Amino acid sequence: MRKPPIHTISHDAIKAWRITAVLYEAILWVITIVGIVLHFVVNFPLWIVLILIALSIVSTYFFVFLLPKLRWKRWRYEVFEQEIYIQHGILIVSRTLIPMIRVQHVETEQGPILKKFDLASVSISTAATTHQIPALSNEIASDLRDKISALARVDEDDV
Amino acid sequence: MSEPKRLHPATIIFNLVMGIRSTIFVFILIFVTLNDTHLFYAILAVVLLVGFIFLGSFLSWHRYTYRVEGDELRLEYGILIRKKRYISKNRIQSIDLTQNILHRIFKLVKVEIETAGTGAEAEASLIAVTLEQGEALRAELKSITKDEQVEEVIEINNLSQSISRKRLLIAGATSGRIGVLLALGGAAFSELERFIPTDFYDQAYSWVIGLGLLILAVMIVAVLLFLWIIGIAGTMIKYWNFTITKVDEDIVIKCGLLEKKHITIPLKRIQAVGHAENIVRQPLGYTTVIAEIAGGSNENGEQFSTVLFPLMKVEEVDTFLAKFLPGYLTNRSEIIPLPKRSLKYYLVRATVPILLLLVAVIILFPQFLWIPVVLLTASILLGFLQYKDSGYVIEGERVTLSYRIFSKVTMIINHKRIQAFNKKQHFLHRKEHLATIKLSIIGKMGTGKHYYVKELDEQTVEELEDWYSYRGG
Repeated sequence: MRKPPIHTISHDAIKAWRITAVLYEAILWVITIVGIVLHFVVNFPLWIVLILIALSIVSTYFFVFLLPKLRWKRWRYEVFEQEIYIQHGILIVSRTLIPMIRVQHVETEQGPILKKFDLASVSISTAATTHQIPALSNEIASDLRDKISALARVDEDDV
Repeated sequence: MSEPKRLHPATIIFNLVMGIRSTIFVFILIFVTLNDTHLFYAILAVVLLVGFIFLGSFLSWHRYTYRVEGDELRLEYGILIRKKRYISKNRIQSIDLTQNILHRIFKLVKVEIETAGTGAEAEASLIAVTLEQGEALRAELKSITKDEQVEEVIEINNLSQSISRKRLLIAGATSGRIGVLLALGGAAFSELERFIPTDFYDQAYSWVIGLGLLILAVMIVAVLLFLWIIGIAGTMIKYWNFTITKVDEDIVIKCGLLEKKHITIPLKRIQAVGHAENIVRQPLGYTTVIAEIAGGSNENGEQFSTVLFPLMKVEEVDTFLAKFLPGYLTNRSEIIPLPKRSLKYYLVRATVPILLLLVAVIILFPQFLWIPVVLLTASILLGFLQYKDSGYVIEGERVTLSYRIFSKVTMIINHKRIQAFNKKQHFLHRKEHLATIKLSIIGKMGTGKHYYVKELDEQTVEELEDWYSYRGG
C-alpha cells in the first residue's frame, strides 16, 4: 500500500472554509427568513417554510461545522523531486500524481478570505489538467511555487 | 512569393454564404415579425442586411493578404482592426487542404495551417486559393524536395493503405448513424412543431389509424431503411477513397467525395492510438482505428478522436500499427479484466436512471410500461458489457486501457504522454479494495482528454501507480 502524502495544509484552512461556507449559508438563511415573514404576512405555505428551515439547519451543520474539519484532515500533499502527490476528498478519496516534467506552470492565488488568514492557494497546471492545493500559509505557498517551478525546469523530450 | 497576395475572389462568395448562414436567425426573425403587416419593410431590411454582409465580405477579402517571406508566412487582415499575423515555418504543425463542392466548381482549395497553439480555429485559414497556389504554398512551407523524395519512398515501401469499396460499404452499413439521424430528425421536428396547425395531428392520427397495422409497419420499416441508406451514403461520401500514407515523420490522410480532405498529422503530436468498435461492428469483428492528436482545430467537425482508418478487422490492427505506428504495437490479448466484485457497480450505474424512469412511467403512464422494461433489459446488458470490456495491461513504457461507454474503446498510451495520474475511491470501494483510475493526456483545443477505468482491483491500481510514478515503488 502506497503511503498517503505527509504534509497537511494550513490549519487555518478550516476557518477560511468555515467563513466561506457561512457566507453561502447566509444567502440560504435570508431566503428562509423571507419565507417565514411571508408565511405570517401573506399565508405562504407552511410546509415550504419548514423544509427551508430544516434545509438551512442541516446544511449549516454540514458545511460550516462538520465538513471543513473532515476536509482538512484528508487534504495532504507532498512534493518530491520527480513528482507532486496530492490527496483529498471526504467520501471519495482522490490521489493524484503529477510528474514534474509534465508541469507547465505554477501559480499562487489569494482571495480576500485567504488573505485575512495570511493564506494562499497553489495551482499546478499540466498541458491537460489543473490541480490546486487550497490553503497554505503564504510563506510555504510561495516557497512551494518557486520549488516546483525550479524542479519543473527540465528539458522535455517533445510536445 | 514575397509579393502580398489576395485570396481568390470567390472568397467573397464563401464569406457571403457564411455570413448569411450565421445570421439566418435574424432573417427568420425579420420575416416572422414583419411578415403580415409590413412586407415591404421586411424585404427592405433583408436587402440592407445582405448588402451589409456583402460589403463586409468584400472588404475582408480585400484586406486579407498573405505572403511567404523568409521563414515566415505573413498574413494581414481585418477591416476595422487591422491585424498582422506572422507564422514561423518551423512552428507549423500541419497544412490541410480541403475542398467542398463550391471549391471544386471553381477549382479552388481551402488551406488551413495549424501550429501547436491552442484554440478552436486554425492559426491561418485561407478560405479559397487556386489549387496550384495551394499546392505551391504547401510546398514552400514544407520544402519541396522532401515531398518529391517521399513520393518515391511510397512507391518502394508501400507505406500506404486505402479502404476498399466493399469495406467502405460495410463501414456505412454499420456506422450507427441511423440513431444520429433519428435524433436530428426528432430535433428538427420539435423545432418545426410550432408551425404545424393543431388539427393536422388529428387528421394525421385518423389517417394513420385508417391505414391498418400492416401498412404502418411497412411504412416504419421503409423510413428506417431510408435513414439507413442515407447513413451509408453519408459515411461513403465522407470516407470515399480513404488513404493513409506515412510520409517521413507525418501521417497523411486523404479522403472525401464531395469535400476532399487532406490532413497531415505529425507523428509527435499523436498522444494515444487505439480502436473503437460500436455495438453493430463488434460482433462482425470490425473496428475503427483512432488517434488522439494534441492541439489542432475543431473546424472539421472532428469533435471526437481523429479517425486513422474507418474500418478494418480487429486482427488487422496489429499489422496496421506495425506499418504506420510501430511505437504503438502491443499484445492486446493479455488485458487484465476487472474482478468479479466490480460487476455490481457497473450494473447499478447503468440501470439507476432507467429504474427512475420506470417508476415515473408506472405512476404516470402505466400503459407504456413496456418501454422502460425493454430499456431496462438493454441497460443491464450494457452494464454487463461495460464491466466485461474494461481492463488494462502494462507493457514496458505503454499502457493499454480498455473501456466501454457505448462503443468498446481500446487505447494505447505511452508513459511519457500521460500528464497526470489520478486514483479515486469512495468508502464502498475502500471496503472492497476497488479503485477508479483517471489518466489525463493532452486533447484537442488545448484541453485535457481523460480516460477512466472504473472499479479496478486496488492491487492492480497500485501496480499501475508504481509504473507511473517517477519515484518507483
